[in-house]
Amino acid sequence: MTSFLLLLIASTFFPGVIVKTKAKLSGRKGPGIVQPWLDIFRLLKKGNVFSTSSSYVFQIAAAVYLASVITAMFMIPFEENTSFISFPGDFVLFAYFLGLGRFLLVASALDVSSGFEGMGANREVFYSLLVEPAFFILIGSLAMFTGYNSFESIFSTLHFTSYFSVVIGLIAAYVLGQITLIETSRLPVDDPLTHLELTMVHEVIVLDHSGFDLGIIKLANIFKFVIFGMLSANCLIPQEFSFVPASINLVVRIVIFLALQVVLAVGIGYIESFRARNKMAMNAQYILSISAIATILIFVVMIINNNL
Amino acid sequence: MIVLFKAAFLLSLGIFFVPKSWKQLYTVVVCLALAITTSLWAIAAFQSSEPLVVDLGISFWKENPSLVFDKLSAFFTLLINLTCVTGVIYGSGYLKPYFEKKSSTKLSLHLFCLIWLQASMIQVVSMRDGVSFLTSWEMMSVSSFLLVIFEGDKETTLKTGINYLVQMHVGFVCILIAFLFVFKATGQFGFDALPDYFASHNNLWIFLLFFAGFGIKAGFVPLHSWLPHAHPAAPSHVSGIMSGIMIKMGIYWILRIVTNVQSDFMSIGLFILIISMITGITGILYAIFQHDLKKILAYSSIENIGIIGIGIGAATIGKAMDNEVLIFLGLAGAIFHILNHSLYKSLLFYAAGNVYYATHTRDQNHLGGIIRQMPMTGMLFLMGSIAICGIPPFNGFISEFLIYSSAFEAIGKADFSTSLLSLGIILSLAVIGGLSVYAFSKAFGLTFLGSRRGTTQLHTEEVPLIMRTPGYLIIAVMVSIGMFPSFYLKIIFSAMSVFTHYQFSSTLTLLHSTQGTLTAISTSNLIFLGIFLLIIALRSIRKKNVSVEYGPTWGCGYSAGDFRHQYTATSYADSLGQLTDKLVMIERSNRKFKEEEIFPSPRAFQTVTKDLLEEKLVLTPVHKFITWVPKAGLAQTGMIHHYLMYPLAFIIIIGLLTLLKVI
Repeated sequence: MTSFLLLLIASTFFPGVIVKTKAKLSGRKGPGIVQPWLDIFRLLKKGNVFSTSSSYVFQIAAAVYLASVITAMFMIPFEENTSFISFPGDFVLFAYFLGLGRFLLVASALDVSSGFEGMGANREVFYSLLVEPAFFILIGSLAMFTGYNSFESIFSTLHFTSYFSVVIGLIAAYVLGQITLIETSRLPVDDPLTHLELTMVHEVIVLDHSGFDLGIIKLANIFKFVIFGMLSANCLIPQEFSFVPASINLVVRIVIFLALQVVLAVGIGYIESFRARNKMAMNAQYILSISAIATILIFVVMIINNNL
Repeated sequence: MIVLFKAAFLLSLGIFFVPKSWKQLYTVVVCLALAITTSLWAIAAFQSSEPLVVDLGISFWKENPSLVFDKLSAFFTLLINLTCVTGVIYGSGYLKPYFEKKSSTKLSLHLFCLIWLQASMIQVVSMRDGVSFLTSWEMMSVSSFLLVIFEGDKETTLKTGINYLVQMHVGFVCILIAFLFVFKATGQFGFDALPDYFASHNNLWIFLLFFAGFGIKAGFVPLHSWLPHAHPAAPSHVSGIMSGIMIKMGIYWILRIVTNVQSDFMSIGLFILIISMITGITGILYAIFQHDLKKILAYSSIENIGIIGIGIGAATIGKAMDNEVLIFLGLAGAIFHILNHSLYKSLLFYAAGNVYYATHTRDQNHLGGIIRQMPMTGMLFLMGSIAICGIPPFNGFISEFLIYSSAFEAIGKADFSTSLLSLGIILSLAVIGGLSVYAFSKAFGLTFLGSRRGTTQLHTEEVPLIMRTPGYLIIAVMVSIGMFPSFYLKIIFSAMSVFTHYQFSSTLTLLHSTQGTLTAISTSNLIFLGIFLLIIALRSIRKKNVSVEYGPTWGCGYSAGDFRHQYTATSYADSLGQLTDKLVMIERSNRKFKEEEIFPSPRAFQTVTKDLLEEKLVLTPVHKFITWVPKAGLAQTGMIHHYLMYPLAFIIIIGLLTLLKVI
């Protein structure tokens, strides 16, 4: 329960901090922290315009997308016994539930018979195909290191085994951060602010969604941020700190977690302010390089475990 | 009961004499009778601890063939019956338009072969002695061949059919030779001799021979080349049965042989695993580049055979390392995947058949948007696509999860090489999963969604109920697997009990812990469904209070867009094609612009995708062989003088060799 609540709390400020950072760095005042949420509430109240060539797939796609992301949220741990769903191999279910949402969203893009959305759909499945191995290599090497095979047991034992875990935690958090950027369609793979349909990936898929549907898709994207944000935080925050009393351990961890989320959001805002989007043709190579970094993690684990 | 089983064979002949309008119903009744009889035997076999032996009371080649149902063959019998019954029911709708075109004899032969295919598959999984097994195997190949060439008046179909028949017989010869080796060593002709043989001889070579024979039926790369041709050529109910269950006959016997092997586990396991990884990845990769709907499905069958093989390979490697978790989860995953694939693959082939029935085309570049005319078929195909990608909440996830978790169990608790292998399994499954989403978002999206590609706006309407009913039935089973996976795991567990070398003291504990995990998955599926329904409810409440308008799709301000702006099957595959052009042979052909052409004439651009493995490993050697063979004909000059010279030369050579003490 703690983890779910923390995810909700983090999601309130995460997108706002990104927007604020970008505004400050470009010398503007920027909207308030909760503006992205207000935008969503506004969208939820609005009417719908549907394409005449769309079918029932378009009607259910957004709901499946949000439902799959929320179900995935239930599997994210923070403390021991704090995730709703936990069993050996739960990360496979996690990855595949995100895949379910993606499948329906892509189908809804193909449903409106637009060339742009076909392009976006194609890019979305292509990039997720390329990023999937990185996630599984990462989880595989963490499982190899700890000897456990569920999110909860991996993260609760990650920092107990040896001091080398810091190295592993750092590389894992870096890889997860990169996966976050791709899964949530941010720079350098995709630019949420682009106004040219030809260079969009995620934005072009939702071009014809409106009102309630668009609102819940945006909501799901915010949740995706904090899901991956919490996974990265779990790689970095130890279960116990030797220098704080056990009674306030949880409080310290929560504070560090929230601080890390702010740092991650500011980081994303920083990257988006100072870096241009990749050339479309470069994206495949860029995403594959993440798998390559994840592979380094395996060798680090093997060396630490004296397997190599 | 035995009388009924035998009567089914006799009754199948009756098809030729039944009036044309009653033939369909007659076939369904005979097929159901056969299914009920054998299913009752199968259920009885499940309940008893000993294998159920049904003596047929006939004598054949000095043997008394009998059907032996142990739990594994009982499990397969149930699967065969389910797929064949849905296939025959579907066929009775699908064949309607052919009733005016085809002669009564041709139709009767087709329906007759449907029943014989079902009967022969049941015999293949239950007969043990060599002669009756090989006869049944041959019955299965020949009847499926006759089913494939139903539209044999088309030349390509006939050619494909003959290609299929030849390849099946190459496999048959491999199996026969393997049996003869075993016979020579043990004096017994049949599967009962295998344990003796494996105990005292080199296991690897005889396994490879069996694998080649059964692998052609199953469609392991590079023995797969019949599959992508035969499935599109066959009528849809036949492709559904063939892809759903017939190719699993190869898997069934590979399973039986692997579990009898008694040494060389590591090399055999590695061999199966690596071949299966290649099969899985290349199968789905080629599926992406096809635009014939049934060819996509055929290649995806190859991929699924690969996933099943990964499970079997993991279990065999587990056996080599005495890793009980790896054995249990690998085998359970493989058998579960056989069940799952037989369900959704036949479903997808039936849905593809519906598309063909309604639009008379299978080419994705001419389809699109038919979900609005055929909403139910669209739903069947969508659910099948989600399931085949291994995405929850359907059944496909469960079996892929079991294979995944076998690898995750092994990864942290084993030595370097096992860890690396497990990582290989995880990676290949992840890549296969990603590629399947690519392939099936394309298969579903470009066929059913958007607007019709192509200038001919054909009149399309939903197919009759009888062609959708088998689909609904299969969906019901699929959803029940997604919701109650631990029940099905229990059945698979008892089917696994026949592998006596693969049973351990810890197996039962493993079953219980795995059941717990699967229950957690089904709970998550329920949670997902709950949230989904809640959002849909909120959405419909909201929709009542706000304005809902319909308008044209956003076309970047350009409102005169038409179907030609959409992505096609070829362009959807192109981004991957640029990355994998070394693996997939894409031939682009167009006429270049010349300098002197001031007003260029109309041009066409064509891309053809070829199967690299088929080209390099099958076609090229065969062509080389064909060009070399006539060179042997040089000696055949047609002159009697030359022919008289040959014996003389032979005698001289023999004499010389003897003098020189060479021979």
